[in-house]
Amino acid sequence: MSDAAPILALDRVTKRFGGLTAVSGVSFRVEAREILGIIGPNGAGKTTLFNVISGYYRPESGRIHFAGHDVTGQPPHAICRLGLTRTFQLVKPFGNLSVIDNVMIGALTRLPTVSAARLDAERVVETCGLAAHAAGHARTLPIGLRKRLEVARALATRPRLLLLDEVMAGLNPTELAGMIELIRRLHADGLTLIVIEHIMAAMMRLAQRIVVLHHGETIAEGAPAAITQDRRVVDAYLGEEFVLAQA
Amino acid sequence: MFGLAALTPILVRDAYFLDSLVLILLWGALSAAWNVAGGYAGQVSIGHASFFGIGAYSAALTVTRFGGGPWFGMLVGIVISIGAGFIIGFLSNRLKGPYFALSTIAFSQVLLIGVSRWRGFTSGAEGIPVPFRPGFATLGLGHVGWVYMALAVALVCYAVEVYLERSRVGYQLAGVREDEDAAEALGIPTRRLKVGAVTLSAALTSVCGSLWAQYVGFVDPTYVFSVDLSVRFALNTIIGGMGTALGPFLGSILITSLETYLRATFAGVKAGFTGIYLIIYGTALILVVRFVPDGLAGIAARVRVRRAHA
Repeated sequence: MSDAAPILALDRVTKRFGGLTAVSGVSFRVEAREILGIIGPNGAGKTTLFNVISGYYRPESGRIHFAGHDVTGQPPHAICRLGLTRTFQLVKPFGNLSVIDNVMIGALTRLPTVSAARLDAERVVETCGLAAHAAGHARTLPIGLRKRLEVARALATRPRLLLLDEVMAGLNPTELAGMIELIRRLHADGLTLIVIEHIMAAMMRLAQRIVVLHHGETIAEGAPAAITQDRRVVDAYLGEEFVLAQA
Repeated sequence: MFGLAALTPILVRDAYFLDSLVLILLWGALSAAWNVAGGYAGQVSIGHASFFGIGAYSAALTVTRFGGGPWFGMLVGIVISIGAGFIIGFLSNRLKGPYFALSTIAFSQVLLIGVSRWRGFTSGAEGIPVPFRPGFATLGLGHVGWVYMALAVALVCYAVEVYLERSRVGYQLAGVREDEDAAEALGIPTRRLKVGAVTLSAALTSVCGSLWAQYVGFVDPTYVFSVDLSVRFALNTIIGGMGTALGPFLGSILITSLETYLRATFAGVKAGFTGIYLIIYGTALILVVRFVPDGLAGIAARVRVRRAHA
């Protein structure tokens, strides 16, 4: 595999639920060390696409290649071991375990012993700004910190590609700035990311390229600045007010 | 606590007391075995009597039909229970929560009916008396011997629990119990771990069943495959503390000694006993769920935390 090969490649991926086609023939590539944004209205198929990429749903057709492996239809844990993991839009903390244990369970995927994983988890917890809450139960965290825990736990598995599903939704302005900062730092450290987000201001600051989904189809793909000028995107998702506000 | 149990036979020779101790240890071990699947892996079964019965019948039939030793019978039981546990564990990948629990009940009922009807081989509903032949090889032990035998199996189950609290696989299992989807995303093979936990739990339960058959000297299908028995494993653990190593034993001490006491006290009252026994179970469960949802082990942990803060 040469350096030029993309880290992730989707080839005409389709996922149907009965009569509904949630994801329809979506193809795109993600280069190593890139931040790709995915936007689109509610029900556009963004989370379904994440579920297909990370192995929760098997697509009806199309192939997914990650880091030189065909991962189509492989279970999520196997895909995670290859270096691709995700966070959940509706956060799924291990509520009755401590924050440090939550992260440590992620670290155990790479490390054979509990003591090594605990050390590693402490480092990740520190990076994600959760050190002050490490000993507390995950269920006691407020939503802002739960979103951080989602990221921390995923990071502990040492992914090469991380899928973030609306980790900024519901955050207050301070938390939002902190999350953007964190994502930028991870990116600077060499992580490749795909980010689903509704907060366009954050998306404009983070993504180098954006894919727009609508009714399960890709309707636009390109640099953030170009995307906001795209007529179809404005009609389907952003709305006239956004264009006026940008002007 | 286990040390105290080990010392008791030296200090006390009262057969009645030693019998209670054997039962406390055996029910504790069985609840600990249940805890491996129900507490640590979160796969709540109400059909664990299946494995208990498989263990009991394997030992009894090996001795009475094939002239083998009870130890070999125990081994046969383990092998069959591993097979059955594998099937039940596999079911847990399709059925969640209450649906899984119901399917385990169904499994134990199928065994109950099967063993009751297959008269030629199992003697049906009449049951099988297991002959008493003194000696370690034939598991014909005295009261003191049985205390140590029950203690040994209790310690094995306890050790398995402690391992599940501290080891890599134990933490991964905790992840599976808390949220399967999240565990998968973190690279944990959730299905394999669940099947493994249920199978291990089944094998341990089967060992206790084989020992029980030798200790009591009689097996019959309506008891060894009963839902009552499955519920007892679960309740001991819930009352003691699910997912804690000591919980099942604390639950067993409370429930078994209460039951033994009640049996002695109400022995004369003919119809009364069954009802009172159930009332005690129900009351204990309500009290625990209402006041200490994390069980007796939870109280101990809370006291410790309070002391650390003081």
